[in-house]
Amino acid sequence: MRNGQEVNGVKPDIDEALRYLGAGNGAPETLRREISAMADRLAGQLQPRWTYQVFDLRREDGAFRLCGPDIVLAGRTAERMLAQCGQAVLLACTLGVRFDALLRAEQVRDMARAVMLDACGSALVESGCNAAEGEIRARFPDRYLTDRFSPGYGDLPLTLQPSICAALDMPRRLGVHVTGSLLMNPAKSVTAVIGLSDRPQRARIRGCAYCSMRETCTLRKGGKSCAL
Amino acid sequence: MRSDFFKDKIVILDGAMGTVLQQKGLPPGGQPELLNLTDPALLESIYREYMAAGSQVIYANTFGANGLKLGRTGHGVEEIITAAIGIARRAAAGTEVRVALDVGPLGELLEPMGSLPFERAYELFREMAVAGEKAGADLAVIETMTDLYEAKAALLAVKENTDLPVFVTMSFEERGRTFTGCTVASMARTLEGLGADAIGLNCSLGPDLLAPLLKELCENTRLPVIAKPNAGLPDPVDGHYDMGPEAFAQALMPCLDAGVTIFGGCCGTSPDYIRCLKAALAGKSPAPRRYDAAGFLCTPVTPLRLEGVRVIGERVNPTGKKRFQQALLENDLDYILDVAIQQEDAGADILDVNVGYPGVDEVDMLPRVVKKLQSAVSLPLQLDSTNPDALEAGLRVYNGKAAVNSVNGEAAVLERILPIVKKYGASVVGLALDKGGIPQTAEGRVAIARRILDAALSCGIPKEDVWIDCLTLTVSAQQEQAMETLKAVRTVRRELGLQTVLGVSNISFGLPNRPLITQNFLIQAMAAGLTLPIINPNQREMMDAVAAFRVLSGEDVQCQAYVARFTGEAAPVKAAAPSAAGDMTLDDAIIKGLKADAGRLAKQALETESELTLVEQHLIPALDQVGEAYEKGKMFLPQLLSAAQAAQSVFEVIRAAIAEKGGAPVKKGRLIIATVQGDIHDIGKNIVKTVLENYGYEVLDLGRDVAPETIVETAVKENIRLVGLSALMTTTLPAMEETIRQLRELPEPPVTFVGGAVVTPEYAEKMGADYYAKDARQSVEIARKVLE
Repeated sequence: MRNGQEVNGVKPDIDEALRYLGAGNGAPETLRREISAMADRLAGQLQPRWTYQVFDLRREDGAFRLCGPDIVLAGRTAERMLAQCGQAVLLACTLGVRFDALLRAEQVRDMARAVMLDACGSALVESGCNAAEGEIRARFPDRYLTDRFSPGYGDLPLTLQPSICAALDMPRRLGVHVTGSLLMNPAKSVTAVIGLSDRPQRARIRGCAYCSMRETCTLRKGGKSCAL
Repeated sequence: MRSDFFKDKIVILDGAMGTVLQQKGLPPGGQPELLNLTDPALLESIYREYMAAGSQVIYANTFGANGLKLGRTGHGVEEIITAAIGIARRAAAGTEVRVALDVGPLGELLEPMGSLPFERAYELFREMAVAGEKAGADLAVIETMTDLYEAKAALLAVKENTDLPVFVTMSFEERGRTFTGCTVASMARTLEGLGADAIGLNCSLGPDLLAPLLKELCENTRLPVIAKPNAGLPDPVDGHYDMGPEAFAQALMPCLDAGVTIFGGCCGTSPDYIRCLKAALAGKSPAPRRYDAAGFLCTPVTPLRLEGVRVIGERVNPTGKKRFQQALLENDLDYILDVAIQQEDAGADILDVNVGYPGVDEVDMLPRVVKKLQSAVSLPLQLDSTNPDALEAGLRVYNGKAAVNSVNGEAAVLERILPIVKKYGASVVGLALDKGGIPQTAEGRVAIARRILDAALSCGIPKEDVWIDCLTLTVSAQQEQAMETLKAVRTVRRELGLQTVLGVSNISFGLPNRPLITQNFLIQAMAAGLTLPIINPNQREMMDAVAAFRVLSGEDVQCQAYVARFTGEAAPVKAAAPSAAGDMTLDDAIIKGLKADAGRLAKQALETESELTLVEQHLIPALDQVGEAYEKGKMFLPQLLSAAQAAQSVFEVIRAAIAEKGGAPVKKGRLIIATVQGDIHDIGKNIVKTVLENYGYEVLDLGRDVAPETIVETAVKENIRLVGLSALMTTTLPAMEETIRQLRELPEPPVTFVGGAVVTPEYAEKMGADYYAKDARQSVEIARKVLE
């Protein structure tokens, strides 16, 4: 376990990078090739770092509270996502300021390549979150994980960022800061909540294709989904 | 001496404060500095435990007691620091234990990563340092830094405002870099140059993983070295550190052998750890040190040990360059940055920076250019000026170890400039001339070089930081001088053992086929012992000669760099796609985003067409065609921007042509763009800027995190009719709204347009913006409507 340390072998998802550029399926082959080469180079230059911590959840006044750092996860999103969870993981993942420096320099050299690099960075930090989630999954083989969700998603407030940042000691462990206007700096940084449950969890965010209940789901049979 | 207690002795510091507080039941997070007011007895008891365990220095509870962090608490810096030092002093009363003012990071990132200016960081640290000394601290420790720039601000603040000895420790990852990419060597040599009394590493890793980094640190400094690691790594589930006190102490012993003399603990350690450490260190004495006294220059991310030939790029200099002069006069720092980046890509190792030109205030301009360059260039800089105030201003804001170009043998010059060089730990170029001019013999120049070296040494500047320029004279005017110069280079290198600098290009002035002469002189000079040629790295012949020389001298091991250069394998700059024969039109080149072709074809077109026709009949229609394809989803953002950049190269050709004629540049109208206050991520705004500029608009880019007042002031002062605002976050939309409100209060309000990730047409209307731009392309349409 290397909490807060750089890990090897995480690669950005090319399709996702292309989607960030507004070029999902229609991307010309040349663009796809360029993105692919750039993504490889980026993953060789720097790797996402992450840190996470597990907290007990308590239900109080209709909202979930993380015990220890005393963070209240207010709102319908948290309520639905964490309904069956006794614990939750706070996760933070970042590419660090070195990505921002690469992006600054690339903006001087070539703005077209800079927007591609930006998209690769977004995809890489997402891959980092996936890798972190895999690590958490492996650590808790008997538990079921909810999809991860972040402040700003649904009605989970962005105003949670400073307390998540403090609870995970993000400045020290990852070099990530939250500004007065609730932005994370460096830019390619993500915070997320993942519920831990003893029961299988629906893939509310990632969708039915990823859900362990897709074969038996009554909502799905009725042509609906449980998405928030 | 206040610093006697740690020179050539083993010293034991304390362990963690936060960990012990948590063990005593305090929740993590919060502002532990407030305990200085609310629970002094608890803190005093912790200090006593550390002292009983063997700590000879205790860190007062002031880590986050800076104006930024305390600002939210309603308590003042002096109030907290006075209380904190008072508590530690009480605990240490009647003992030999020293009390340290503990200075941690400010909690916000400095420019260019964040928006905190270096000068503001200095002020915040100054406030702490002054309060700490006044309250009776024995020393200051700056710790847990990950940004060398922030460490520099803190170090200068302590040194310039107090007499306290000062320790600086930074936090590194296992790969030997801090979060901001700073290397161990860059840290060591920069901080020693700036006058730290001891340096080291703390936090982030356990002693086992820090040991190799500490060894490297010891080789890169003459100063006492500090190790204050964590108790291993924390477990993500319960937050506990994985190394016990005994294992911790034992894992630190290899660091003692490597030369570390000052020991303590960081996160996860407690008095038990210090007790074990004391036992393990009992009877031990400091190990011998092996300092590597090499010439060195750096930025945080690029440590440059001077060995073999290192190329100094000469292009950031207005002399004889109309376009560069124009950029200086127009404050166009983007152009200067572009010139710098090109040299980095061409293989320069160091960049000379000269901004002296009539009408330019160097004292103001040099630091601004330094900041601009270090926002994107990773190479070390050589600040080139004769103005001591400009040099000091530039060195002050430089992040790393720089060089100064130049002093000469004249006593007055040496007296004026060397103390500045010493203060900022720079290297210095000494020109082998004095009041009497340039000596005509090699012996005369070497004599001046000796004088400069002696003056530098007596000023405390080490020999490896003294570089001598034996001066290149034009061979067509003073033919016999070429050989005298080479002779002087040989002697300075071989006999004095100094680095040698030469501005090489000057040799061929006035002759045909200049590159041939320059290249030949360069080769001969390198053979004679020239280590730091100042050349134009964009000139292929010169860099080829350097590449070949490095093979023959053995510096390029197994000819790897040479092979890579000439087989195109790892060529640093991607060659422009080869254009298919001569039938490509300028319009095609722009549409396909072929920069080099577009520039070349524009030059050709200018032979028969006017600048204006070029813009109106080729550039704009081609860009429009791309813009339409983009709107229809047939082309994507990178392609739109490639076309914009090809257009940029056309504009550069036009600008250069007009500058040559001495005319005013073609500009279709001016506008302001800015990312609003609170927003620090600005790639969206930069995309808009790129596209607008390449349609010929003059964009005043006010940057990111821009206060409404600044935008209003600039709009008024520059008489601006169009203002574009970008916001990325819902949390910064109010700042956008406020900016528009203030602009609309002007007697003649400019037209406003807004855009950015969270902005919608509805928001735009509600905020009172005149236009909503969904992308860069729409910004052009708006600019057309308003400005044409």
